Amino acid sequence: MKSNHPMSRALARRETIAGYAFLLPSLIFFLGFVIYPMALCIVTSFFDSTMKRADIFVGLGNYRELFQDRNFLYALKNTAVIVAVSVPFVCIFSLWVSSVIYNMREPFCSIFRCIFYLPVVTGSVAVTVVWKWMFNNYYGIFNYAGKRLGLLEKNINWLGDERFALGCIILILLTTSVGQPIVLYISALNNVDQSLVEAAEVDGATKFQCFWKIKWSQIMPTTLYILVITTINSFQCFALIQLLTSGGPNHSTDTIMYYIYHNAFKLYRYGYGNAMGVVLAVIIAVLSAVQFKMARSD
Amino acid sequence: MKRRKLLALTLAGCLVFPAAVSAEAEAVDITLWTYPVGNWVDAATVEGLIAGFHEAHPDIHVTVEYLDYTNGDDQVNTAIEGGQAPDIIFEGPERLVTNWGAKGLMADLSDLWTDEAKEAIYDSVEAACQNSDGVFYEYPLCMTAHTMAVNRDLFEAADALQYLDEETRTWTTENFVKAVQAVYDSGHETVGAVYCSGQGGDQGTRALVNNLYGGAFTNAEHTEYTLNSEENIRALELLAGMDGISFDASIAGGDEINLFCNGTLAMAFCWNVGQDAANAENTEFDILPMAFPSENGDPALCGGIWGFGVFDNGDETKIAAAKTFIDFMANDEAQAPESVKASTYWPVKDLGTNIYEDNDLMTEYSVFVPRMGDYYQVVPGWAEARTAWWNMLQQIGSGTDVKTAVEEFTATANAAAVQ
Repeated sequence: MKSNHPMSRALARRETIAGYAFLLPSLIFFLGFVIYPMALCIVTSFFDSTMKRADIFVGLGNYRELFQDRNFLYALKNTAVIVAVSVPFVCIFSLWVSSVIYNMREPFCSIFRCIFYLPVVTGSVAVTVVWKWMFNNYYGIFNYAGKRLGLLEKNINWLGDERFALGCIILILLTTSVGQPIVLYISALNNVDQSLVEAAEVDGATKFQCFWKIKWSQIMPTTLYILVITTINSFQCFALIQLLTSGGPNHSTDTIMYYIYHNAFKLYRYGYGNAMGVVLAVIIAVLSAVQFKMARSD
Repeated sequence: MKRRKLLALTLAGCLVFPAAVSAEAEAVDITLWTYPVGNWVDAATVEGLIAGFHEAHPDIHVTVEYLDYTNGDDQVNTAIEGGQAPDIIFEGPERLVTNWGAKGLMADLSDLWTDEAKEAIYDSVEAACQNSDGVFYEYPLCMTAHTMAVNRDLFEAADALQYLDEETRTWTTENFVKAVQAVYDSGHETVGAVYCSGQGGDQGTRALVNNLYGGAFTNAEHTEYTLNSEENIRALELLAGMDGISFDASIAGGDEINLFCNGTLAMAFCWNVGQDAANAENTEFDILPMAFPSENGDPALCGGIWGFGVFDNGDETKIAAAKTFIDFMANDEAQAPESVKASTYWPVKDLGTNIYEDNDLMTEYSVFVPRMGDYYQVVPGWAEARTAWWNMLQQIGSGTDVKTAVEEFTATANAAAVQ
């Protein structure tokens, strides 16, 4: 036993070194492309930083300005609306759809899975262009159908009217957001221990009781994951805004992500943009923590 | 004998090798990034132009990258931040002078602006290529005057052609109002759109507003925004109250062009010869390019000037090579007409010959070039002002009082100008 000891130690050391060596490339990339930019973002947020000029330290100046900036507050409000609508809708809708289709016979389950997943794998630009055409003020299909069905008297400028624009953005966001949760829920529901469900049914439990008392608790980790991911995606809604409305009309579709982009890359106010980025990161972190805590207490 | 041969070869090698190394060391590689100015986006055309340069200057090698107006600024800014800015960039003074020049990123091109060049190049162009201290950050190649266009067939059917002068391509504000009303009354409800979903093609809406009652976007010194003048407010109030003209926050300049070309809109405010060349074949009506309406029928058009700027990358050899390239492209007797023709616009000086002699379209549009007004895009705070402009139009379209919206714009733009 004693004679084997030095051998094992050497082997363990070699394996440890090999382990770290394998880890090193990822670690370098992670430090270089994630941690370093994050740190730089936080540092720059305390400076009046613009292109090729010595940065001027302004302390919390950018943060003070942020909460007095009417457009930032608009963007914050719009982002909150998007999150408040899309997160519950995506979770409930995708759970409902997957509950209906997860135990369907093949190939129907696969067909529905493909249909709902299609907007996820289609390029966001292509999806947006099609929606833009459908919402078109002059010849879009929504105006055409609305008028043909007698629902509309005259064309509505869906993306050009502040009463409708944010709703249109949320609608598109929902269609592109439900695909992945549906696939995840189908997989989670298939992994539910069927013997427990059968036993409950034998004991006279209703379908709702089976779902609520047995399945819901078993798919909770998936629900938590979907909640967190959908919240983050909703907070980071950018491409749709950039491609469809540029934050207009009258800032009615400005989101924090778009406003960061606008300040950093259109007005070249990197420090101010980074301050917004830090605030956004804090909001997302706090919300995610709350979601984790609530899920754990459940 | 063998040893002598070896020695001779070695000596010859020693003599030849340093010469080869020295020739290689003298060769300079420079990069040119070009925005899509006419055919300066077409690789075959640009490579053809550069082949001529390589023949004349084999010691300088130029590689090209093509930008678009959607992502081009982001690409350049990312390159600047990464210390990878191109040596030469081909675009207009609003980027070269007002933006990158003002940030101290560009090299001074004053040595290209000889007395001879200053005498030859039009004054309005010369004024646009320098900052307020007289430092030149652009050497111009070509220019154009942006126009508007009307659907001639629709105007004819509505009996609205009587309100415009087809020979001079001008009309008065009063006649513009009558023409729009006539087209609207003929049953075509969407006559024109003041597009404002973004900054694409915003020169068209600015030119429309400024010309209607002779307002100006900035003061003559290009130091202050003057949109809150009585003339501009009157113009915006007129547009906001006209039947057939909508303030449309769902479209930008490119969308407006598409809507005009497919016959949805009866007129386009975002137009120039390039649009005509690209779209005429696909439209089912006659396009009639027009100057913007003005009170006295004498418009001051918004122009486009394009030329070369050099990024100061700290390498004097590359800067010198870049200047050699610019001088060849813009001033060489044989090359300059070809460089201008590739832009599909007009030269910034008299080249001594009509380069578009056999081109009817270019001849038709050349009538607008002398009507080019002040090139105010070099005013400080331009990026902020452009954003504020379309936001202001959106406000007016949503029913905000014109005077309030204009005052807000002017305050925002002037605050940016003094920063």
